[in-house]
Amino acid sequence: MNELVAVTVPLLQADFPWLSLLLLLLPLGAGITLLMPAREARWTSLTTAIAAFTVSLWIVFQFDPQQSGFQFVERSPWIPSLHIEYLLGVDGLSLLLLPVTTLLFMAVIISSWNAMRFLPNLFFSLLLLFEACLIGIFSALDTALFFLCWELSLLPLFFLVSLWGAGPNRRHAAVKYTLFMMSGGAAILLAFIALAVQAPEGIGFDYTLLLQVVHQPNFQYETAIFFLLLFGFALKLPTVPFHAWLPVLAQEGPASVVATVVGLKVGVYGLIRFALPLAPSAAQDYQWLLVGMGMLSVLYGALAALSQTNLRRMLAYSSLSHVGLVVLGVASLTHAGIQGAIFQLLNFSLIASGLFLILAFVHQRLGSTEFLNLGGIASSMPLLASLFFFFGVASIGLPLTSGFPAEFLLIMGIAETHLGAGLLSLAAMIITAAYFLSSYRQSFLGAVRHAAVAQSVDLKPRELAALWLLGVPILVWGFYPQGLLSILQTSSTDWLSHILMQQ
Amino acid sequence: MSKLAFMIALVPLLPLLAAAWIALGYMLGWNRGEAGERETHWVALSAATVAPILLTATGLYTWLSGGSTSYWLGAWLDLTHFTAAISFRLDALSLTVGVLFSVILLLVTRFSVNYLHREAGFQRYFMILSLFHSGVLLVVLAGEALLAFIGWELAGISSYLLIAYAWQRDIATYNATRAFVTNRIGDAAFILALFTALSFLGTTDWQGLFAAAQPESDLMMSLIGFGITLAAVIKSAQFPFSAWITRALEGPTPSSAVFYGSVLSHAGIYLLLRISPLLEQATLLSYLLFTMGLATVVYGWLTAQAQTDIKTSLIHATLVQTGLMLIEIALGLYTLATIHLVLHTLWRTYQFLHAPSFMQQTTKAVEPPPLWLRNKTWLNAAALQRFWLDPIADSLLVRPTRKLAQEAQLFDERIIEPLTGQPGSSNLLAILSRRPTIAGSMPSLESQVGTGVGVLGVLMQWAAEALEWFENRLVLQGSGNGLSRLTRFLGAQAELLDNYLRQPRYLLVLIAATLVVIL
Repeated sequence: MNELVAVTVPLLQADFPWLSLLLLLLPLGAGITLLMPAREARWTSLTTAIAAFTVSLWIVFQFDPQQSGFQFVERSPWIPSLHIEYLLGVDGLSLLLLPVTTLLFMAVIISSWNAMRFLPNLFFSLLLLFEACLIGIFSALDTALFFLCWELSLLPLFFLVSLWGAGPNRRHAAVKYTLFMMSGGAAILLAFIALAVQAPEGIGFDYTLLLQVVHQPNFQYETAIFFLLLFGFALKLPTVPFHAWLPVLAQEGPASVVATVVGLKVGVYGLIRFALPLAPSAAQDYQWLLVGMGMLSVLYGALAALSQTNLRRMLAYSSLSHVGLVVLGVASLTHAGIQGAIFQLLNFSLIASGLFLILAFVHQRLGSTEFLNLGGIASSMPLLASLFFFFGVASIGLPLTSGFPAEFLLIMGIAETHLGAGLLSLAAMIITAAYFLSSYRQSFLGAVRHAAVAQSVDLKPRELAALWLLGVPILVWGFYPQGLLSILQTSSTDWLSHILMQQ
Repeated sequence: MSKLAFMIALVPLLPLLAAAWIALGYMLGWNRGEAGERETHWVALSAATVAPILLTATGLYTWLSGGSTSYWLGAWLDLTHFTAAISFRLDALSLTVGVLFSVILLLVTRFSVNYLHREAGFQRYFMILSLFHSGVLLVVLAGEALLAFIGWELAGISSYLLIAYAWQRDIATYNATRAFVTNRIGDAAFILALFTALSFLGTTDWQGLFAAAQPESDLMMSLIGFGITLAAVIKSAQFPFSAWITRALEGPTPSSAVFYGSVLSHAGIYLLLRISPLLEQATLLSYLLFTMGLATVVYGWLTAQAQTDIKTSLIHATLVQTGLMLIEIALGLYTLATIHLVLHTLWRTYQFLHAPSFMQQTTKAVEPPPLWLRNKTWLNAAALQRFWLDPIADSLLVRPTRKLAQEAQLFDERIIEPLTGQPGSSNLLAILSRRPTIAGSMPSLESQVGTGVGVLGVLMQWAAEALEWFENRLVLQGSGNGLSRLTRFLGAQAELLDNYLRQPRYLLVLIAATLVVIL
């Protein structure tokens, strides 16, 4: 290990195990929720979610954005024979994902308050478990620990979709999703093992050490590692050839759960955290591939969204298109691109999730999200319609919502290195406005066609509160993006210099 | 100094806060219904009153003290190699136009209080109006292109909301969507300009842009100029982009018409005046502007003769005037253009506010189009149909995009979903709208194996012919005709691909792909 110290990643030990507290709190809350009777279960789950949010906010306020490297690091041996450690920590790139995740789950719990007909305690408990897995994904610094959380997250999701799904094919959708992700997971595991055997102690999964390994002259299998990781994360993103699970899941799953899947793009996080930094020169060599993949998703998703007849599917394809833009930003390997990518990642969990939560409300009232069964929602539910519009214009990147600075930075980044792709994403921006506004027109505006729509009640205060939780940060970051970007600055500079560093 | 900057920031901020307050009130239910009208219009009116007063006061102070005209408030986006700030610029141009627009919007707000009394969308209307006020003031006062773009988009979205004001009617919402998407093209061009400015100059500050505009300046400056110019002419509905503005007249008369008759359509002209130092360096842009202006004048004049309702003919008369302003700008007569803008805005506001009562004031029958126009039937028809700008845009842009969208969907259903074994969509409309498959794709056997079309086809034909020879010599002497079936199949597939490739939209996709690869 002594000749390895090319660039050591600074690790700031935590004075108190805040991240572990977060990781302990959620499963504990999940357990208590499971044991509670149906009515009390939602209160315990909400309390747990609020507690988790408070802890994550505390972590954000304690974080020093000027410092490079990881903070709140906790390290203890886990499986010593394989050098697997329980290693947690956050940097500027992952920090804000914690409060956004906990905020989103708070909103999801509030919005599905009495939406579940059976076993609400199991539902809320699985939701909290899922949250715990996601927090683990965002804070794990040991690749084995990361992989564990990554695979564990499939379990609660499988049951959430197959038991409480909205469509007739929900079981099928859940099985398919799980199979897709398992095959992606296998590729990721293979890549991690290929990395681990090159670690200085003979075998090791410490991410911060692996970051130094990849700059060693005797580093092997780099291209294979890159492609394995890319495949695994591309399935989760999703990007175009691997996207088939997304519209199906969006249509069959419970909309509030889909909100968390679409909102928290762990695939993009994996790409940023692992795929590129752990194979830096391959990432540069195959930059064109990433750009092509992103571009294809942007255009294909936008076009496919234009011809959907169901709001859920429309949003699924729109999310495909938006993720494509994020991949472009990451692939551009520029400051603007990576900061825009993280910014947009945070936005998804506010904007895309907000839209899906509203669709959950629509589905709860009308039993459908097909254009045919909607129409004229604005007359009986003006608040619901205006909030959908608000989240929608945020997703098409209107200034003063957080969608604008993020999208602008992404386009800046990609146009800097690939002008053609930048121009095409500008064209996609026009199509984005077209599909959102035309589907909005068909389902929310116009004359009322169905009695069910006319009789439905507008958003209740509880539902309004859930949407406000997500809407306020959209406005705050839209007004003052610099506040968020200053947190990302140091870490994204480090990220970029790590990848662009030549051996 | 910074106190003054803060005061100037308040000018566009006040109407924005008013809009936010009204929206909040509606959401929490304290200003709904007729009871809430009083509070709603009081909030909107006071913001609209304070804004021009504050603007005039700060303007006077700046003028009297003779100090700097730009005010810097803080960084908005600050990355390692570029900065976009919140800054304002109070020079003669922005002050004149800012006060003018803001006073007009104050008058319109006051006018609407009575006009919309007891309308169901009273609160919504005043929220939109305040939002628009804020957006327009931001465009005018911004000291940065990026800040101006924010105002530009606010004005754009409030214009969408206003056109879709009567959202129960399908035609209104359709027109609103159409107008917004058309303007989105201009927005994309604006973003291109912003990108160019930021990545080459590291700033979008007007002052910085003008300083970089040297006579020998290159492609970059013309790209910036072109982007902003395109955005401006689309917003001002100049010739090839004129179609959206007639659709925009769907909003409540007359208050929305005021937007298109005066404030919004002149915002584009203002932007051109703002970047005049850039335009001076780019001769090509001046020619472009001149041509567009001339075409708009002719177009507006001819169509105004033939239109049959007051709002449409008024809007085309407006187009004639804005076209003239474009010509003035192209010729470098900026002061004239500014005076023209001010006078025309005032006059047209009066005229549009008057439009609903024209019916009562007209005593004699409306005059038909002039005789010379009626004699030329083709010209009359063209003028009446507004030169078919909308159908042309439909067939050139909208329909190919829709087709492409359908095919993306088809590709998903037919290829990706079966490949991955998904249950598929239980999607009624999609099944109904499935296009018939291309029938008869087997090639006619003209030569030995069939005739290929296009490059791919010909290549495939050669390959097939070579295989045919191979087959005749070897395979047929051996066993069966499996190979010949295979080649025929391949030929058919290639022709199918070729058929697709010959349709223009695929050509476009290919060009797009090439762009990505090359650039």
